[in-house]
Parts: sequence; C-alpha cells; structure tokens
Amino acid sequence: MNGGLSIENLRTLIRKYPEDYYLEARFQSRVLNEVTFSNGELEKISTIENSGVSVRSLVEGCWGFSSVYNTSNDKLENCVDTAISTAKALSTIKKDKVRGLKTPHRITRGVFEPDVKGRLQDIGIDTKINTTKEAEREARSHSKYIKSAYSSYLEILDHKIIVNSDGAEFETFDSKPEFTITCIANSGGDSITASEGRGVTGGWNDLFQFYDHLEYARISSERAIKLLEAKHVLGEKSTVILDPGMVGLISHEAIGHMVEADFVLSGSIVKDKLDSMVASEKITLVDSGRSPYSGGAAGSLAVDDEGVIAGDTVLIENGKLKSFLHNRETAFLFDTEPTGNARAFEYTDEPIIRMRNTFIKPGNDKFEDIIKETKYGYLVKGPRNGQADANGEFMFGAQELHLIEGGEIKGLKRGATISGNAFEVLKSVDMVGNDFSYGIGTGYCGKFQVAKVDGGGPHLRCTATVGSLG
Amino acid sequence: MNHSMLGGICEYAVKEAEKSGATEAEAYAMTNLESEVLIENNDIKQAKAHTIAGLGIRVFVNRRLGFSYANTLTEESIKRSVIRAMKVASVCPEDKFNVLPISPNKVIQRPKLFDNSAESFTVTECTNLASLMLKAAKSIDNRVSVDSGNFTNSFMNHSIYNSNGICHSEKITSFFWSILGMAIDGEDVSSFDIQTDGCHMLADVNVSTSAESLAKNTLKSLGAKKINSFNGDMILSPSAVSELLLETIIHSINSDSVQKKASKFQEKIGKIVSSNLLTIEDDPTDSRSLAAASFDREGIPHCRTKIIDSGVLKSFLYNTYTAAKDQVESTGNAAGGPSTPPVVSSTNLVIKPGSSDLGTLVSEINRGIVLNRFSGNVNPISGEFSGVVKGGHYILNGEITFPVREVMIAGNVFDALKNITGISRQRKFFSDSVLPHIRIENIAFIGQ
Repeated sequence: MNGGLSIENLRTLIRKYPEDYYLEARFQSRVLNEVTFSNGELEKISTIENSGVSVRSLVEGCWGFSSVYNTSNDKLENCVDTAISTAKALSTIKKDKVRGLKTPHRITRGVFEPDVKGRLQDIGIDTKINTTKEAEREARSHSKYIKSAYSSYLEILDHKIIVNSDGAEFETFDSKPEFTITCIANSGGDSITASEGRGVTGGWNDLFQFYDHLEYARISSERAIKLLEAKHVLGEKSTVILDPGMVGLISHEAIGHMVEADFVLSGSIVKDKLDSMVASEKITLVDSGRSPYSGGAAGSLAVDDEGVIAGDTVLIENGKLKSFLHNRETAFLFDTEPTGNARAFEYTDEPIIRMRNTFIKPGNDKFEDIIKETKYGYLVKGPRNGQADANGEFMFGAQELHLIEGGEIKGLKRGATISGNAFEVLKSVDMVGNDFSYGIGTGYCGKFQVAKVDGGGPHLRCTATVGSLG
Repeated sequence: MNHSMLGGICEYAVKEAEKSGATEAEAYAMTNLESEVLIENNDIKQAKAHTIAGLGIRVFVNRRLGFSYANTLTEESIKRSVIRAMKVASVCPEDKFNVLPISPNKVIQRPKLFDNSAESFTVTECTNLASLMLKAAKSIDNRVSVDSGNFTNSFMNHSIYNSNGICHSEKITSFFWSILGMAIDGEDVSSFDIQTDGCHMLADVNVSTSAESLAKNTLKSLGAKKINSFNGDMILSPSAVSELLLETIIHSINSDSVQKKASKFQEKIGKIVSSNLLTIEDDPTDSRSLAAASFDREGIPHCRTKIIDSGVLKSFLYNTYTAAKDQVESTGNAAGGPSTPPVVSSTNLVIKPGSSDLGTLVSEINRGIVLNRFSGNVNPISGEFSGVVKGGHYILNGEITFPVREVMIAGNVFDALKNITGISRQRKFFSDSVLPHIRIENIAFIGQ
C-alpha cells in the first residue's frame, strides 16, 4: 500500500525547484494494530492505516515543513509549495539562520528491511487477540492475590520512501511488535504492580523468542505475588548491581538525552566535555541503529530519515566523552559527521535528533563474581519509568531489589527508586558484567513526538542512592 | 473537502459495513488544516502546515466489537477499512453493553465556533503573531527569556453517522498559543512559567496578554529565598489548580474509572466529597472554551453536566458503553479522535467562581504560600501528591512578602478538596477547564 507512489514520483516532485533549495520528500505508510485485555474483558482493539507525504524544505536559512494525506499529483505539488512558503515566511523574522547541512560520505540508495522471523502480516488478527486474551487470563489464574491484570499487544509496520535534493533515494520497511503484561496483587490494603514484556524490531517469532505469552504472564504474576510478601528497603546510599534493563534506562534517559546535539546547543552540561573523562574507564557507551550482541532491539533502524546510515555511535569510550548525537544540521555546526539519529515518527512529523539502541558494552566480570565480591548492597531489577534532569540528576523506579550480604543474594525487597547524578554513578562503576541484553524495548521516548527506542547492557556494579517508593 | 462531503463519506462507510453484515455501524471522520509556528530559545524556530484527514469505523456484529481507521478517504480505502473492522468483530468476544446510541434529541449547533476569516489564515500570519508574542515578552523587561512557545491555527471539520440515524457535521476554527520561559538576572534564574490560551474567533486572539503574564510571573519570582518548614494555608493559582487538583477530579468522575473500581468517588453520588464552596460542572457548550463542540464522539448532543454541587457529588461522566453498564443515559462525554474507539472524558471542567477577590483571599491568611505552579507527582486514583512549589510567594499577616524556592508540599487531593476555605471571583480559561484561585488550609510546607 503506497498510494501508487515510487522513488521516481518523489524525485520528479522535488526536481523542478531552484537548486539552492534543500528539499526532502518522505512518503510513509503505517499499519498499527493494537489489542488490550483487562480483567477478562476486551479493553481496546483498533487497526489503523495511516499514510501520507511530508516535505521538508530549507530555504533562505529557515526550515519549512508540510504534510498531506492525499497523494494526488496536485496535492503533492501544493505540499512542496507550502513547505517552501512556510520556510520563506520565517526568513525575515528568524534571527539565527541554519548555516548548512553536512552531506554524508555515502549517498544512500536502495531498499532496507529488517530481519524478520514470522512476518506480522502473516499472523491473523485472531491469533493476536487470542494471545493477548490468554495471557491476561493466565496472569490471573495463579493466585487469589492477583486481583487484576492487563495485557497488551501492539505492532507497528512502516514503509517509507525518501528522496532528497542531495541525491539520497531509498525505501525502508520496518516491523516493531511489542507485548506487555501487568499484574496488580492485592492483600489487605496493600497493593503491588509488576509487569513483564518485550518489544523488538522483527516478527512474531522474534517477539516470543525467549518466552511465550503465557510465560510472560507467569513471570509477571509470580513477581507481583512475591513482592507482596516483601518488605520495603530503607533509604541509603549503597552499592548497587543494576540489571541490563536498568543500565539501558540510565544510558538512555540520563546520558543519552544529554548528548543530543540540539540539547547540547541549548546548554547541556556536557557541552564542553568532549574528550574529558565523564565515567569510569570501564564504561564504553554506544548508541546504535544496529542491534549488536543481541538481535532485534526495538530501536533498530538501517538508515535515518535524512538518508544517513545508522551505525554505531560511540558516545563514551573507556570513560571519555567522544561524540554527541547529530543530525545533518548540527553535524555541520560542530564540523563533524552526522550520526544517523534524525528520526520522524509519523509522516506528519519532521525528523529530529532521537536515540536508537543505547547501551553499555559488556566487560569481563562474571555475574556470579559480581555478587560474590559484594559485601553489602542491592541487586536492582526491572526498570520502571523515571525522570532525568538537565544537570544529570536522575530518579528511576525499579520493580524489585534483592539484598546482598556477604557475597550472597539474601532476600527480595520491594521496588524502590534509584537516584544519583548519572556521571557520578558511571564514575563509580567498578565491575562490568560479561553478559548482555536489551531491556527497555516496550517503552517509547517522548520529545515533541514519540520514538521507539531500546537500551541495555551487562550487569554493572556502582554506587547510587536507594530510596523507598513508599 | 466541504462539510457535507465528509458526512457523505461517513454514510458511505456505514452503508458498506451494513452490507458486509454489521448489526450496527458508526463512522466518525475529521479533516483538519493546521498551521503552526514554533518558538525556541528567544527565536522563531520552525513553521509547519498540515492537511490531515481520517475516518474511524466502529462495527458491532451481534455485540462483538470491530474497529478500524484509515486516513485516506477514498472508497477503496474505506472498503478495506470496513473489511478489517468486520474481521476484528468476527474474532472479538461478545459484550452485551456494545450498543450504539439511537437518534437522540436534536443537536443544537453552537454559535461562535467557526470564523470565516480563519479559513484563509496563513502560516505568515501565524509567524507574525508568534513573533509579536515573543517581542511583547522581551519588550517588558530584557531579563525575560523565552524558552519555547507556539502559535497554531486549525480549521477542522468533523462528521458522525451511525446506522441508528445519527448524522451530524460541524466546522470549528481554533487558535491556540503558548509561551514558556523564565527571568534571568545574572546568576539568579527564576522559576519557569507557562502561559497558554486559545479561542475560536480571530478577533479574540490576544497574544500580548499571555506574554505580559509570563513576564510578570517570572520577574516577580526572581530573588527567591529558602524558608523554614511550617504549617499554613495555600492559595493555588488557576494553573496550580490545574496541575495539582484537576487530573484527580477528572479521573474520579469518569464512569470508566468508577466501573473499574479505580475511583475514590465510587458509591459517593449524593454524598459530600468536598467543601461546600466547590461547585463543578462539565460544560462543552461555552464557545469561549477550545473544547466546545455541538456533539460528542458518538453524536450525542453536548450539554452541561453538574458534577459537584456545593460539595455534593451529583453525577459521573458517561459515554454510551459505560452508561449501558450503569443503566443510565450517556452524558455526551464520548471522547477521542477518529483513530480510536470512543473513550470517556470530561470536555471543559468549570469551577464556579467564588465570592472573594484574590486580594481578600490573601488578606485573610496569617501564614501561607501562594503557588503559581505545582511541579510533582499526583496519583489520580489515591489522590496522593508530592512535589515542589514553583513561583511561590510567602504570605505573612495577610500580605504577600517575598518569593520562595525549594519548598515542597505533600498530601492528598481528596483531603485538600475538603479543606477549601475560599474561591476567587476571577477565573482563567484553559483548553480543558475554567479555573479560579483556590485557598486550601492546613498544608505542611517543607522548607529547609
């Protein structure tokens, strides 16, 4: 379903304008299917087809942007004219003009598709509904303490055709399903929420590669029941061992956003820190469009919406800050290479600097050794939402804590908040596990528009403040 | 695309669904022409223009729900969408409350929601207004720094058609603007302030007032001091009422939350839930509100619904589905766009003005704080809140003295509603509410 549009159509569309205009035309067609069950009832179902064309223009140092759902020839031409006129409307008023765009080394051509096991298009909606329904029922079947459960399946299938004035001409296909199950356990007036799930770039079999839907339901409900019996921790600064999901969350929220070049330009605390030590030398932190170490990370993309190949961007190498995340405009300003981070969510969105899969590289320590060598501390598992401030201070929720005493995991404690300054916490890292996984693929990152991202790493030992969720 | 064409497309979709075997069917469609100019870091950042459309088709096949959405309004695309919705309905569980509204009372077309002159409004005019707002804020005092903002205008058409004879269309124009910033004086940076406003008629656009309010609020919170902890009264500005109280109230009066046993107002109809000074209604009929419209997402005529009357809970808000569950009438609160099945939501929550001036509310306080904004977390189910006072000013012996910083408050929204001791006569219009200043007693302020 592409409204009959091809690369050729978009090329013709933008070709007839003056050469000093930068124009970028993007056709995007999206299929989004969503099923939610709660307490045995269908909570939400929808199937969405959304498609259209947007045109971005850089004219007289100003950006213009226009989008249209109707892809007939006259509407498309009108859309280009509007994109140009919106840019021109700003040119007498805007003070700080765009100085230029960095052209990538390689002009992007071709068709890009992710590896998919079990094409989502080939799995019937009945299977998707039944899977969600069964998981929700399974979650409630284990214990009388699980008073309510909630399961959700969502899939996004995208097809984009992008052509720009610099000669980039390519098509991308994307497939990102996700599955989440949440259980609420109640006893007396006490209530605990636990969730489990996965989001990937790939197909049905990739989504359920490690566990099937019933297993996710069991993990979630067992966690909620166990946590109901667990006690709260006391607030203290402590040695903590973060699981890969928590490492992913900190990498994304507390470090990643700080190094987005648009944020750097508006005064991020790392703006003068390139080539300085900002973390322990055991830390190498990467943002990548690929999915190294473990396949199918949810933030994967082959090429960004400005036609820049989305490879690995090493942000911190052995503790030293090496790079920011760039689009073509900021790469020009910083006189460096664009990093393939310009992403747009819907066809009505313009590409802005977004992360992809943000992770810390694995080290040499075995997980058992990290535990064994910890006299006192907590193993922190299961990231929840959190907040990070512009100065690097963060506060993230964790679903469960395990007390460690004398090199042994002693007992389960209730979820807590982990807080600290991201750079101080990363400087305190003294052990880095040799394991690796991604763990925040069911989440979305919001920044004017949303984006599918992922993050992960090995287990890490560091120092942070553990505070009760209350 | 004009008015009646959109209604015709909805009718086509419903007829297609009936042909395919739907017991009941409903189509809701919208088109929107939107221009937007963004402000960032004391400069105009970007301009955008969009032509958006979409049609959502909801079918019931023997009380089994199917739903599908497409944003291309061709016959071919609608036929495909109907097939998808029917496929979904064939595999969804049956639910006896899955019914569509029947042709109700006549819809009254609300006046002053559409301005002819707004139809030809261009991105250049948006740019000029955004620029005017930016200049207005800067010209008051050069210490004012505008972090971000926008000026948006939209020309929207929406239509609903269902197999029970509901058929309505309407055109609405709107203008919306916001400005966010702080005052900077050397090392001293004030608390953020945000001003948002909007209207349906071009003649009512007034960006300067928003800019002036931003400047006034940020400048007066320069030089903020820390204070010691104390117990006292607080006065919430309309913005702080919105940030601290509104979400919990909106959640608790939603029939969907009540039916899911996630509302503290469950089984409280006819009971006292707040101070008797508080009267709240949902009013989508007032054209001064951006949320105003003639009918809801299911084509039920919009009307005023009294929610709390002098402290007594009167009604929850319903759409057709939740109303069927409770065996009551829908209050016309089906909400959402064409891309999702209808949910339940308030439209324009109006708190009735009180009898005092803000000055009087302040003068009656021995010791307290007036909050410009609240930044923190509120749990809408339990009502528990904790967070930081933003743009707060210390009140001593009936007078506002100096701005404060790093003061925290924590408590419960439901207790706070019972501890209201005053409501101002003056109110501010927001896109989803009309709110006064509210005074609440017995608050623990945590300072140094």
